[in-house]
Amino acid sequence: MNDDAELLQRIRAGATDEFAELVRRHQVRVFAILHRYERDGQRVEDLAQETFLKVWRGLGQFDGRAPFEHWISRVATRTALDHLRREKRHRNEVAMPELGDDALDWLRSADEKDGPAAQDAAEILNRALAQLSPADRVVITMQELEGRSVKEIAAALETSGIAVRVRAVRARAKLKRALEKLLET
Amino acid sequence: MNEKRLNQLFAAARNETAPVPSADFAADVLRAVRRARLAESVSIFDQLNFLFPRIALAAASVIVLCVAADLVLTAVGLPEVGEGTTQVSSHFLFNAEEL
Repeated sequence: MNDDAELLQRIRAGATDEFAELVRRHQVRVFAILHRYERDGQRVEDLAQETFLKVWRGLGQFDGRAPFEHWISRVATRTALDHLRREKRHRNEVAMPELGDDALDWLRSADEKDGPAAQDAAEILNRALAQLSPADRVVITMQELEGRSVKEIAAALETSGIAVRVRAVRARAKLKRALEKLLET
Repeated sequence: MNEKRLNQLFAAARNETAPVPSADFAADVLRAVRRARLAESVSIFDQLNFLFPRIALAAASVIVLCVAADLVLTAVGLPEVGEGTTQVSSHFLFNAEEL
């Protein structure tokens, strides 16, 4: 199995078909990132295709100093951010899916012993995070769900580490308010 | 919502499984890449070459229409298009000079 650097070299030399191998190597990671921001499977696939097209167009910009998977993750995050911004403009036209009974039960209960099921937790967070700005949502998602460092988040958002820290604190407070609001509805 | 419950929410959501790419996803991406390459490789000259037969046909139609109109106007005894235009422009210029 060749590493990404060799594969990239061949693609740059004109072996276009080899790009499919690069896609196969990184598609699971890209789908996982995009799924944090979009729940619809078909849309995730469309966004993944958009991500790989951006990767194809930007191959010349990848200098190889950082691992290729970091760069491709950043492209996927930027694609998700663009998607959230487009969605934000049309938010009033698109109805949010209702929360399931189990998700609502956990949200309403005061039990601190048991956490919710993974899918319920993702549904609840999706509803609450939709109330935040796209950049706030990306910061919370990368920090809390993907376990990324401040440096990685700053690189993805093309901003400073201090700006990320400040945004993370504010976004967390907004998320708590959004979750409390969910309880009232 | 307290910190403990919020952290429970994050911890549970981290375990959610993402959708799996379809078996032919990579092939679909490759097709999209090829389409994009093809679209990007079409230059302005290629587009002009593609449009040339239509532009030539439109120009020929305009010429034929003008000649036909001129012949018809001559046949019914009306001044030719060229003469009419000359008259109108000289009249306009004469009026402009008067002002």
